[in-house]
Parts: sequence; structure tokens; C-alpha cells
Amino acid sequence: MATYRNPQLRDKLAAEYVIGTLRGRARARFEALQRYDPELRRIVAEWEARLTPLSVAASEIAPPASVWQTVARRIAAAHGHGAGSGLAFWRGLAVTSTAFVLILAAFIGVAPGPEPPMAMVAVMNDDRGQPALVVSWPRMETMREPYVRIKVVQEHPVMAPGTTWEMWMLPGGKGTPVSMGLIGIDADQTMKVKPALASRIEGAWGLAMSVEPKGGSPTGAPTGPVIFKGQCVKIL
Amino acid sequence: MTGDRPAPDALAARLAELLAQAALKNQRAFEDLYALTAAKLFGVALRILRRQDWAEEVLQECYLSIWNHAGDYAVQKSAPLTWMTSIVRNRCLDWLRRPQQEASGEEYEIAVEAWQDDSPGPMESLMASSEAAALARCMQQLEAKQRQSIMLAFHHGLSHSEVAGHMKQPLGTVKTWVRRGLERLKTCLSAPA
Repeated sequence: MATYRNPQLRDKLAAEYVIGTLRGRARARFEALQRYDPELRRIVAEWEARLTPLSVAASEIAPPASVWQTVARRIAAAHGHGAGSGLAFWRGLAVTSTAFVLILAAFIGVAPGPEPPMAMVAVMNDDRGQPALVVSWPRMETMREPYVRIKVVQEHPVMAPGTTWEMWMLPGGKGTPVSMGLIGIDADQTMKVKPALASRIEGAWGLAMSVEPKGGSPTGAPTGPVIFKGQCVKIL
Repeated sequence: MTGDRPAPDALAARLAELLAQAALKNQRAFEDLYALTAAKLFGVALRILRRQDWAEEVLQECYLSIWNHAGDYAVQKSAPLTWMTSIVRNRCLDWLRRPQQEASGEEYEIAVEAWQDDSPGPMESLMASSEAAALARCMQQLEAKQRQSIMLAFHHGLSHSEVAGHMKQPLGTVKTWVRRGLERLKTCLSAPA
């Protein structure tokens, strides 16, 4: 993958991606790279800004009314069972099917070893709705040193140079995201939870992962693209 | 291009506001957003897909995606219309990636005629829009074959080999035109006017 570090090549691929001549598997691979490489995403956005006037200046063609009717109907249907959070920013979240969570719960719950049983789980999906990470934790008050367990369930993507991934707890109601810490690269890892956070995580509505500069978000709020999100589900 | 349209900056500000409202799940705002953008985006989809039914389906999916991801727009650095257009373009190109979705020969020929009719159109509109004046100026500075191959690829969603077929030129030659054309565009756009 070293070739993707070459600035000229990155620019050339970004231009071909935007103009649309990068096709097939090369296109899919380039798309995947962008998701974890904000710098590459920025180069693509610059090409989009350069060339999009060509698209929007062209003649407009009104779509038939049936297009809006279908969109409106599907939005209304999806909106009917909202997640009940005031944090609309995070609501793009795909709700994981109950059956899938229960299967995971069984899988996590029966894990051998001295670990206490897991009480909550969040399946964090990527932007295509595919599960990327499963985060689970036992009841916080049963642990002397609270933690969450993080399991990678899809091929672990590569963090772009100079970036790190920060996990955020999304409290219910109107609360803003709270940093939980930076994730490591192991397929199975634990993340310590600060006592102040441990008392709140049982009421968490969801978790999110954003791409941040090395050392984590400089502002205390997510600054980079959100790559994984998932809703918290009580299983115990 | 009607005269009672808001100026580009005002339109961008309005679209950004509507996207922010859509992120808060305001369906009225989303309807306004649709009304302001659907004809532009349908044009983009139709030129790439060349089939009305595909373009309608892709447009539906794109607006659902925009509704679901309106909140993500806040962290993008792009102009709203650029962000939305890129969603549509990428979805169209994904659609064409499926081998069974290739346009049949007959439709292709019809589409080619249609382009020949409207080929000066995009360039003329481009020059009329102050937002895009720099791009228009830089496009005009390209060699004709570079400009044409870029327009066929970007505007009509043709692959390198389709552009080569359309222009009756070897694939390698066309690739070079596109690449050099893009390089020159970038240089021209970054130079002061």
C-alpha cells in the first residue's frame, strides 16, 4: 500500500475518481481508503469543488412527481419509529436488528474466562451499515476498574498516517458526545472507562467513532468524519 | 437558468440551512431542499445513466441517503450542492459498475445524438454562471480533444474505453488527454485570475 502515499499518485487517483474514469475494483478500493484517510478525502473534495460546476451548470430536468412521493413515503415510514434521542446529528444510525444483537449477546455472554457477563452491547456499523466493531461491557458497578471490550468484526481498516480513532459516548437527550478515549489496533482490546463516565454509560444511547489527529480531538468534540456508529442495547 | 433564481452564494447558504434542518429531521425543510435541487440532480443522473427509470431510482436512493446523512454534511468542507452532486454522481457510477446494467447499443446511439445536440449547452451555461467563471475560462484554455474527453467522462459518465470508442482514438491516447487536461485545469484554477 506504500504507493498510496505518493502525493502525485494520490492526486491523480483522486482526479480520476471524481471524473469517474476510476472504475471497478480500483474505485471500490479507493473509496475504502478515503474513509480512513481524511487527507485523501480532502484531496477528493478539492477535485469535486473544481469540477462540480460542470455538472450543475448543465440543463436541469425535472423528475416526475412520483420520485418525491416515494421519497416522502419512505422518510415518513422510517421516521415513525425514531430512536428517541434529541441528538439528531447522530440519527443516521442504522438500527441493528434485534435478532442480530441477540445472537451477538449469546456469543459474547458465553465467552469463557473470569470476565463478568456482558450487560450492554453496541454494534458499530460502518457507513454502509456493515458491522465493524462490537463494543460490550459488564455492569460498571461490578468492576473495580471499569472497561469496555472492543472486538473487531470486519477486516480491520488501516489508520491513515498522522490520524487516530476516537470513541465517543452519545448520551440520551440533549447531551453532547463525550470522549471515551482512543482505540488501539488490536482485534480484541479493552478500553478503560473513567469513573465519571462509568456512571453514565449505562444510560448511553449510542457510540460513535471519529477520525482525529494524533493525540485525539483538539476541541473535546468530534472534528473528523464519523466512520462507525452504533446504538447501545441492554442485554442483561 | 431562470432569472428569478437566488444568486449562487445565497442559494448555497439556503441549501446549507435546509440541510441543517433536515439533519434535525424537519421534513418540510427537506421538501424545500428537494424542490430547489431535484431538477439539477436528476439532470446529472440522467446524463450519466441515460435511462429514465434508472435515473429515477438512483435519485430516490440519493435523497434518502441525503436525508439520512444530512447531519454528516456539517463536518464536510464542501458547498452543499457539491456535496449532494457528488452523492448522485457516485451512486450513478456504482450503478453502472454492475455489468448487467450496461446500456444497450440502441440506447447508446440515441444518447450520443442527444449529446451532440446539447454539447455546447453545458459550456454556455457554465460561462453564464459567475460561480463557475474560473472553470469556464480554464476549460476554454484546454486543447479541444482534452476538453471533449473530459466532458464525455465527467458529464456523461463514460469510462476511458467508452470515451476512446466515441472519439475513435486509441485507449492510451485518450487516457493521456484526460490526465493532461485535468493537470492543466488544476494549474489554471489555482492561478490568480
